[in-house]
Amino acid sequence: MKKIIFYLFFVIMAATLPYYAGGYLLHVSTTILIFMSLSLSWDMMLRTGQLSFGNAGFFGLGAYASLISVSNLDIHPVLSLFFAAVFAAGVALVVGFAVLRLRKIYFAITTLALALVFEVIVMNLSDLTGGSSGRVLPQAIFGGNSVLIYWLILFITIIVILISELLNKSKTHYAINSIRNDEITARSSGINVFKYLVFVFVFTSAIQGIIGGVYTQQYAFVMPESTFSLDFLLLPIAMALVGGIYTTMGPILGAIFLGLISEYLKLIMPYGHLFIYGLIIVIVILFLPEGIYKVARKKYRNRKSQEVKLDASSEGK
Amino acid sequence: MLEVNNLNVFYDKIQVIWELAMQVNKKEAVGIFGPNGSGKSTLIKAILGLVDSVEGEVLFRGQDLTKKKTYNIMRQGISLVPQNRELFPDMTVKENLKLGSAFISEARQSTDETLDFIYHIFPVLKKREEQLAGTLSGGQQRMLTVGRGLMAKPQLLILDEPSVGLQPSLVIELFQKLKEIKEKDVSILLAEQNVRQGLKIIDRGYVLENGRIVLEESAEDLLENEHIQKSYLGI
Repeated sequence: MKKIIFYLFFVIMAATLPYYAGGYLLHVSTTILIFMSLSLSWDMMLRTGQLSFGNAGFFGLGAYASLISVSNLDIHPVLSLFFAAVFAAGVALVVGFAVLRLRKIYFAITTLALALVFEVIVMNLSDLTGGSSGRVLPQAIFGGNSVLIYWLILFITIIVILISELLNKSKTHYAINSIRNDEITARSSGINVFKYLVFVFVFTSAIQGIIGGVYTQQYAFVMPESTFSLDFLLLPIAMALVGGIYTTMGPILGAIFLGLISEYLKLIMPYGHLFIYGLIIVIVILFLPEGIYKVARKKYRNRKSQEVKLDASSEGK
Repeated sequence: MLEVNNLNVFYDKIQVIWELAMQVNKKEAVGIFGPNGSGKSTLIKAILGLVDSVEGEVLFRGQDLTKKKTYNIMRQGISLVPQNRELFPDMTVKENLKLGSAFISEARQSTDETLDFIYHIFPVLKKREEQLAGTLSGGQQRMLTVGRGLMAKPQLLILDEPSVGLQPSLVIELFQKLKEIKEKDVSILLAEQNVRQGLKIIDRGYVLENGRIVLEESAEDLLENEHIQKSYLGI
């Protein structure tokens, strides 16, 4: 109950942000939420033991699917997000049947290659995608109303967070955890390993697709170079690692921490901030390899158990 | 119940099991003995569909298993206790146990009862139910793998060298538990190097050497057998 009130407090704080924060902070928060969702989606795939570098690829596919569906098919921008999710999921389903037979480094490299392949395809379909110079939408989503955009992204992020929590609670949690630990034992516990891998790959790709769509609708612009940018691959990974992998809180904290730091650094030193930013990531991973969240949780639990011990010993007297 | 006929198993081009035939009857405990590399684990993997090139017939309750996927085979009523305590170290003892029945639809409904039954056989697991499996001692981990295997409510429990890496007193304790399990009408297929202890719980045994069965006898006859005494019991 305490926990629910605690979470509710944060949700309300986040939802009412436009009322007390300025335009700049709102924009920073929007960006952080986008990366938070990407980071969570990457982490969910990692929980199955598969290191995917395909996020940027599906993000890009979603971005283009959303833009094309709005400008060529003339559907509502919000609906186009569903289209982006379905399109990314569909591609992930087809590709997944081949790629998910690979493991470890082979899987990682192939997914990285996929992202590059998507980019090349997009560049060459210039009638539809505008080729390498990109394409512009006549208007951003909600007419560019940044408050509504923020709420939309917050809504999607909350759903992603709930999915991530669900994944750590339900029967799927057993399947995913055991596949990561030992695939043969997972199979001999009656788990259809391939089915679960495809399932997770498809829905994490759908999340990446929908976020790609939102991003495009926010800026009303796509370009292969920026849409398939490594930023959408590496930053979410860094956030999950810094925050703590295999958890929901980890990527959330990582995204907020790195998101705020990168903005702050940009302000105090317009040149060279990326250097410091990289340094911070390296330092955190070197000294807190389990991530901020797990270290904090351990500290908290230790203190709690010490308190319990103290109570017990004082009762003894 | 389990019937293996004319089984040949290959790793690439190398044949590891040659024209093997064996069976496990209902309520029977059968042992497979043999030295390292004789093919015990491979035989188990072949039964469970964990190796690719298998020729021959593996029948379980009349159904051919060779064409089935592992996760489907496990749903037919076979359960495996793997070698090397393959547990999920960052899950609790209880979660590890529950995982054993979570994906077997017939066993899932009676998860709580089976859990009680397992806690009854292995009281130590009940005591450590909320502890992470990785923090258990070697012997406790082995008991947990056996427990997890039982969670699937198998008709046939396959154990791959449960005695490996355990101190002698724990081996005796573990085999005592296996005897209790057998009395609950679970058929057992036990692959072991520890013939002395193995013979105490089985009804019938096969001796596997270089991928071929060289001997099939009842437990009493095996104990008397000269070859067994010389090579396995050191008498």
